Amino acid sequence: MPIIDPAPKEILDQPKIKQRIEKARALGVPDEMFFEIMAHAPGYAEALFDALYEPHAKGNVDHGLKEIIRIGLARLAGDGYSAAQRSALARQGGLTEEKIEAGLSDFETDPQFTDAEKWALRYGYLMYREPKKVNKEFYDQGKKYYSEAEIMEIGGLIAIHYGLQVFLSTLKLAPKGN
Amino acid sequence: MGTTPEKIDQAFYDEMKKHYSTEEIVELGAFIGFNVGYHTFFGTLDFYPMFSPDGRLVDQEESRRIYGDTPKSHLHGAAERARESRPNGGKDE
Repeated sequence: MPIIDPAPKEILDQPKIKQRIEKARALGVPDEMFFEIMAHAPGYAEALFDALYEPHAKGNVDHGLKEIIRIGLARLAGDGYSAAQRSALARQGGLTEEKIEAGLSDFETDPQFTDAEKWALRYGYLMYREPKKVNKEFYDQGKKYYSEAEIMEIGGLIAIHYGLQVFLSTLKLAPKGN
Repeated sequence: MGTTPEKIDQAFYDEMKKHYSTEEIVELGAFIGFNVGYHTFFGTLDFYPMFSPDGRLVDQEESRRIYGDTPKSHLHGAAERARESRPNGGKDE
């Protein structure tokens, strides 16, 4: 039982919420529990879902790579709810559990990741562990692989997902399937 | 939330529920979560406010001088540095 009770069904049936639940269901992340909790604050479920969805499912940077980063951040935040969910889109694109684990362990020496992918994985790893290492030199290196728009896409994904994952971790949610 | 999230447990939320509605708790939690995430990211980008505390448009170099590496107050110190950065320390105005 989560700490916050699910919002009433009539709130979840509102067209703006339902439309987003459908998008989330197609992606596989997040499940309906997210809406059941966030919909307590009118407008929040829509705004927060959009903020999570845009940098994760859209943009120029490979979605599978961003999925690995998202899962790593959820683990760091202690958010088992988000860490347990998987993007169907990433899976369709060929992302396996083995590759996720590889991306969250010794990726620096792993030949299956390109230098650009390693930089993005490092970005996700360092941001909340050693943010001082994410400095001008680090960004200059990133600019060899990504446009500034793409770097903002990855940075925005990292910031939004981690921040909300910390909040979700305190609510002790379990994925709907569990 | 930003430093020891493990302390935000059932008992913490039960205490909160005495003072806030569920709607307000979700609102506060999401707000704090966003800020936990964003401020660290913004910190790595090393950018400063476009305006001084007294409303002047300043470049990044001057803004860095005014606000410093870790600004703690918008008024104490930052406002003085903004005044000092003007020609004649702003005495002609």
